[in-house]
Amino acid sequence: MCFKNLPVEFDAQGNAHLKGGVVDPFAYQPREIKRDKLEELLARNGHIKDVSISPVTRVAGALSFHAVADLQERKFLEANSVATIFRGYEVILKGRDARDAIYISSRACGVCGGVHSTAACEAIEMAFGISPPPLGTVLRNLALSLDFLYDHPLHLFLLAGPDYSQVVVEATTPAMWEKAKVTEAPHADVHDYKTIGDIMKSLNPLSGKCYLDGLKMTRVPREAYAVLFGKYPHPQTVVPGGMSSTVTITDFNETYTRLQKMMDWTKRMILLWDDLTEFFYEYNPEYKKVGARDKNMIDLGMWDDPDSYDASYARCNEWGEARWATPGVVIDGNLVTTKLQQLNLGLEEFVEHSYYENWNQNGNVRYKTDPSGAPLSPNHPWNKETMPKPSKESWKDRYTWSTAPRWDRQVVEAGAYARIWTTAAAGLMPKNQFLESTGHSLKIHMPKTMLREMDFEWKIPQVWNAFERNRARAYCMGYNLMVAYTMVLKAFDFLRKGEDKVSTKFEVPQGERVGVGFWGAGRGYLSHHLVLDKGAIVNYQIVTPSTFNASPKDPFGNPGPYEEAVLNTPILEDFDKPSDFTGVDMLRAIRSFDPCMPCTTHIYGGEREIVREVNTCACSAEG
Amino acid sequence: MSLQSAIRNPQSAIGKVLVSGIGYSNMSDLSFGRVLYGEMVGMSWPEHVHVEDLNFGPVMIYQWFEESPVKYDKVVLVSAANRGRAPGTLEVYAWDGKLPDEAGIQACIGEAITGVLSLENLLIVCKHFGVLPDDVTIIEIEPQKEDYGLKFSPVVAARVGEAIDLVKVEVMKAKRG
Repeated sequence: MCFKNLPVEFDAQGNAHLKGGVVDPFAYQPREIKRDKLEELLARNGHIKDVSISPVTRVAGALSFHAVADLQERKFLEANSVATIFRGYEVILKGRDARDAIYISSRACGVCGGVHSTAACEAIEMAFGISPPPLGTVLRNLALSLDFLYDHPLHLFLLAGPDYSQVVVEATTPAMWEKAKVTEAPHADVHDYKTIGDIMKSLNPLSGKCYLDGLKMTRVPREAYAVLFGKYPHPQTVVPGGMSSTVTITDFNETYTRLQKMMDWTKRMILLWDDLTEFFYEYNPEYKKVGARDKNMIDLGMWDDPDSYDASYARCNEWGEARWATPGVVIDGNLVTTKLQQLNLGLEEFVEHSYYENWNQNGNVRYKTDPSGAPLSPNHPWNKETMPKPSKESWKDRYTWSTAPRWDRQVVEAGAYARIWTTAAAGLMPKNQFLESTGHSLKIHMPKTMLREMDFEWKIPQVWNAFERNRARAYCMGYNLMVAYTMVLKAFDFLRKGEDKVSTKFEVPQGERVGVGFWGAGRGYLSHHLVLDKGAIVNYQIVTPSTFNASPKDPFGNPGPYEEAVLNTPILEDFDKPSDFTGVDMLRAIRSFDPCMPCTTHIYGGEREIVREVNTCACSAEG
Repeated sequence: MSLQSAIRNPQSAIGKVLVSGIGYSNMSDLSFGRVLYGEMVGMSWPEHVHVEDLNFGPVMIYQWFEESPVKYDKVVLVSAANRGRAPGTLEVYAWDGKLPDEAGIQACIGEAITGVLSLENLLIVCKHFGVLPDDVTIIEIEPQKEDYGLKFSPVVAARVGEAIDLVKVEVMKAKRG
């Protein structure tokens, strides 16, 4: 039984139906947020302080964060995640030709627009009843692996990485810096950094070798992306039924060369993050609590098997489980499903603490079942309407433009780490020579380049925190690289056999259709839900990884993942007086979820003065 | 000078000049640079001038400069910025090349890698990585309309020809050396 909260059960054949005897099966009673006691403590103006990270954003999407910290007890008492900008792609897309969604939704992100194009394409393919030829699917997989090979280094070395650099560690925990300088790095023979202090120096922004190499390394996958798909990050070559690129063996050779270039750097990088993580744990085991939260996560999987993917909802469980990243939901560390239909049925969005009207007020529900007849919640994206309702910020009431997506009414987080976790736990990865899912780990075999051939194994961690998110992200670099490598080899095979078709002809259907793109971004889960009529979009709903991660409290009183991670974070930095407090532990927790688009934010101390500038994630509310 | 001819013979032209216009699309007057780039790229220019689209992430632009076989002596950039002047004011100035502190540079890189296009970011990121020549000239208009829109406001539209003439003057200055 995969659901424990939703009133849906499955028979022996796997068919879903509503539990009997429940009058209003999806109804719920929202819980009130009470903070009278907290307000009283804050009013005393003692060691309980308001801490706000407030954004100055120059692009669509921004996150700000409000917390209440007890600086004496060194813990956080309240956390509120705030998406400050309404974007409204769902509103923009209404009434347009379905194919416009590919190009318009791409603009939802300035880093990885291609993931939105592809999710839109898969939703359209489901609605149109078409799918790409095998080489089209391989090309699409390759595009999205290259995309992430750009994305991962950004996170690891340019956005999250500086939190572990010498300049930050020395300023916030000087004793740790002294220890790092004299602690040998266990994998120095591979990554060439003799001590942990050397690794930290290499993470220094603007001057550190890892920072600069990370910047340079982003160029390599982008070049390959441009060779195959014309341009990055908003490709015009993603089309329903495949890709519109004309590709030759030369293009794949050029891609192959670039993947080779990334191989050694990736081997070094994985071990570097291993060394860094273990050092923090050893220095102070309390670091295992930074960004900690329940092992609850979700991923839709991605990288379709060219022989299985047919875009149909009826067969989504089969082609989903054949993916190179296995779909799944993990609850309390256990994989509870790998079936895309169950992932879809369990999804609901709530807006009690968001700046939206509830679309269910009149009781009209567009779809009571999914296309296979399984019960669908009125809070499901196929039933949702985006109805913005700006109002005053209130921590007790509404405070964000992000909705609260939940799965089976439980708080789940999304990320590249969720992708590697569900894949490792499921043991369903297609058989190949470079990657193996063992049920408790993912083995990555990387061939010899300048460095020797090496085997890595990402093991499902015992603890779940900021460090494990970053470490998993480093392993995801190897995982992605070997998926890309395999896809190039598959492309060679198809071309050798003369199977060079990359797209399928189609006609736009005129009747009412639904579709969903079950896909992933560099930072995890991505779904596009679509309703069409006469070829035009009637409803379009995007749920991004940051919609999950940056979500506010839900009507059941559960905080969103950022909020929960901060509430569980101990304050470990050194400071004598409140004005010296930098919030670095909280920032490590938030950034480990993967900063997306930039917003320069300012953290305010008790005196409400700017004490630190940070970059953090903003790819959130409403796509 | 076409990029191809420059690659074939990078030392051939004297006072090599790169011209571009910077801005987002469809943002009314704020798209001044981008729209003018579109006009200029279709025009004939002297052999020493190359017109290039630099409307992509500034980190990619610094890497483009780094890889370019041509080392430019001068860069001329057209843009729009709200600086409190009368709408439609057109100014030409030499960028002073001053960089913010390290945190400011880091913030610019953070924005650049995640998709922000702006003249300020482009200049700071490229200068920080040492790929800009000393001679950077900005031709800048004061916008009147800054929200979504496909057209310029009349006061800005009226200065398009003049702005292109100013670019022509600047590129010829470089040739005279």
